[in-house]
Amino acid sequence: MAGARASRASLAPLAWLALAGLFAQGLALALGSVALAPGELLAVLAGDGEALHRTLVLELRLPRALAAFGTGALLALAGALMQILLRNPLADPYVLGLSGGASVAALAAMLAGLAATLVAGAAFAGALASTLIVFGLAHGGGSWTPTRLLLTGVVMAAGWGALITFLLAVSPVERLPGMLYWLMGDLAYAGSPWPVLAVAATGLVVVLPLGRTLNVLARGGLQAAALGVAVRPLEWTLYLLASLVTAVAVTTAGSVGFVGLMVPHMLRLRLGNDQRVILPASLLAGGTLLTLADSLARTLIAPQQLPVGVITALLGVPTFLYLLHRSRR
Amino acid sequence: MTARRLSSPLAALALWLGAGLSGPAAAEVCVTDDADREVCLAAPAQRIVALSPGVTELLFAAGAGERVVGAVSFSDHPAAAAELPRVGSYDRIDLEALLALAPDLVVAWAGGNPREQIDRLPGLGVPVFFSDADDFPDIAASLARFGVLAGTPEEAREAAEELRQEVAALRERYADATPVPVFYQVWEQPLMTVNGEHWISEALSLCGGDNLFAEEAPLVPRIGREAVLARDPEVIITGGMGKADSTWLEAWRDFPEMIAVRRDNLFFVDPDLVQRATPRLVEGTRALCAHLETARGRR
Amino acid sequence: MSGLETRGLVIDVPGRSAGRPLDLDIAPGQRWGVLGPNGAGKTTLMHTLAGLRAPRTGEVRLDGRPLARLRRRDLARRLGVVFQERHDDFPATVRETALIGRHPYLAPWQQEGPEDHARAEAALERLELAHLAERELATLSGGERQRVSLATVLTQAPGVWLADEPTNHLDLHHQVAVMGLLAEQADQGRSLVMCLHDLNLAARWCSHLLLLFPDGEACWGPAEAMLVPAALERLYDQPLTCVEVDGAPVFVPRR
Repeated sequence: MAGARASRASLAPLAWLALAGLFAQGLALALGSVALAPGELLAVLAGDGEALHRTLVLELRLPRALAAFGTGALLALAGALMQILLRNPLADPYVLGLSGGASVAALAAMLAGLAATLVAGAAFAGALASTLIVFGLAHGGGSWTPTRLLLTGVVMAAGWGALITFLLAVSPVERLPGMLYWLMGDLAYAGSPWPVLAVAATGLVVVLPLGRTLNVLARGGLQAAALGVAVRPLEWTLYLLASLVTAVAVTTAGSVGFVGLMVPHMLRLRLGNDQRVILPASLLAGGTLLTLADSLARTLIAPQQLPVGVITALLGVPTFLYLLHRSRR
Repeated sequence: MTARRLSSPLAALALWLGAGLSGPAAAEVCVTDDADREVCLAAPAQRIVALSPGVTELLFAAGAGERVVGAVSFSDHPAAAAELPRVGSYDRIDLEALLALAPDLVVAWAGGNPREQIDRLPGLGVPVFFSDADDFPDIAASLARFGVLAGTPEEAREAAEELRQEVAALRERYADATPVPVFYQVWEQPLMTVNGEHWISEALSLCGGDNLFAEEAPLVPRIGREAVLARDPEVIITGGMGKADSTWLEAWRDFPEMIAVRRDNLFFVDPDLVQRATPRLVEGTRALCAHLETARGRR
Repeated sequence: MSGLETRGLVIDVPGRSAGRPLDLDIAPGQRWGVLGPNGAGKTTLMHTLAGLRAPRTGEVRLDGRPLARLRRRDLARRLGVVFQERHDDFPATVRETALIGRHPYLAPWQQEGPEDHARAEAALERLELAHLAERELATLSGGERQRVSLATVLTQAPGVWLADEPTNHLDLHHQVAVMGLLAEQADQGRSLVMCLHDLNLAARWCSHLLLLFPDGEACWGPAEAMLVPAALERLYDQPLTCVEVDGAPVFVPRR
């Protein structure tokens, strides 16, 4: 049966990605500035081991590895959704100014000396406000096209960038390092991993039934409408969902770039563009990638710690350029 | 020189230090930190991690140097501090490396360490003292409290008392000094100075220095070169990039009409002595005051 | 089988003040051709007939019910569109593209079943695309891509076909093959509306014609009544010579 064949073929890459995710988690637990022998790690995982080792693995590494996985998954999901929404394989939440809005709000909150939870709330409000502004302005004369939306988003992102620079310029010098690290994206500030993981799982449950519909939407708004898709409500759903997901990710780890852009695009080059495969694959691959990148950030020049955003960009740019170059026909 | 003398009745001692003691339990030590939290240890700390170069210096000055087991980058004073194991930088702590040192007290820098990271430590069983010393009284009070926490109260008290006396002596010596308008340059590009709340400004005012940018809102304001020209300081003092660096001062010679340039009142102080709020600031203040005296002699 | 009607329909062409209201009755089995110069609003008309664009005034009815009252999914089962423009920004194979024609028939969580695949394969077969089934769209020629679009609508199997320039990019053999396919759909009782650039294809294959003038003026009727050189010359603002070949008129532009 062709149908059965198609779905079985799509399960294999997902299984591989899930394995890779597990491997990345294992690596994240094993790596750190304190070296643990494999035996010591296994002892901790088996429920005993030294108190210090238990603290390192269970209290520090595990929550951070899970937060990295959840954040990466959310960023990749947001990217995949944005790309379908804009019918542009190179779109992502950063291009549309969502993370810019989140960053401005969060920096302003930091500048006002608000507590960490309020900074998180501000980031969230900033991402949603940016969404509404971009959609509102792009809507303007009655209808928005992906191009108009993309342009509005790009201009908004530039505006947010200017505001970020302004905020940095008027900030007290002693606050700058924290703000800069936050802008670069850093999981050292991540708290409990459960919010990101829960949102990632919920997001997947919401978008999976939309998979085939999104495949049709990827062929263009008119084509999708002609095939029975209620295009406008679907697009609003996509944008709101992507904003929400971006906001949660940005709140957890600051603005980590490149995952949302790179992961879905790379997967498409390998797996085609069936959203029923690409969306779960993006979640798994994004989570895996950010877990690995954060493990590097923690250990590369330990005890000095790097922001994970630096690693994703350093790994992402050349990989992306190589893939683009190779896929050129 | 450090001492490990165990304190005699701690309650009386702490009251005497005025460091905010509570709880009469025999071995327990309690102090209030700069975030107004009460920090209590069941026994004086044996393994302390210091999360800023300034805090490290303060701990050593309080006689607790031998109990400091970890520090962050650039903790280079005294010489012994430079050898300590590192737990990252002040703005990015390697929590793993920190925990691996099994500290029984972490002294954090309230103004510089990432709060998100520090806030995790109590949950991991590590008591935290938030330090935020930014003037002479604070420095003395910090020394006293560090002594209590580290079990070196007498040495700490002596250090604190010595500091107070030295500051008092300076204050007395320059009590009648005529005011000197000063521009203190923290950085060259962008041009930065300090406002009146900064300890450098307070150190200057101790001997008649009148910080021209005291009214600015930020602690370390960024300003334009024109603003400096407009206020025409009598003296320009800078810490420069390194101990022997005078390029920042030379740049002012492009404006020969300035009083400071005309009278050659362009002075350099060792940044290590003034840019950390530690007992060495007394030495730095002496250097600042000597420069102001020189300037008065050139009137 | 489905019939399409318009009542007092004025399409919304930006910058055009008004136009003759269209009262078309497109009955099952009829093959309508829409002729007109560039900018006359042929594509706008197709989108309006498909319910993808609101008319300025009037309405379009499918089997007596206004399109605006039909749910998109129901409409998509009964009316299919071959677009002139397409967006191949994302990778997709020929087979996947044919298969999306089954979208209106499937519930959101439903996977395509054996029957859906069989319909898609049959459509590819019919358009001589079976050997290209695994190819990426980006690797196809313009004519091959055009046939894939037709295969999608064939898989969709609607009662009304709206085809915007269905012979675009096609070589002569495939032009005739595609027109044959469309005629066959009409013969099976489906309604067919197509925009055509080629007067002679229209003359040969259409039962009815709608002439759209740039100023919004329009006239329509059975093909033989509309294929009057004077009207066509006015339509295209181009002198024509008419000859008869195999009993059908052939129009050749005069210099």
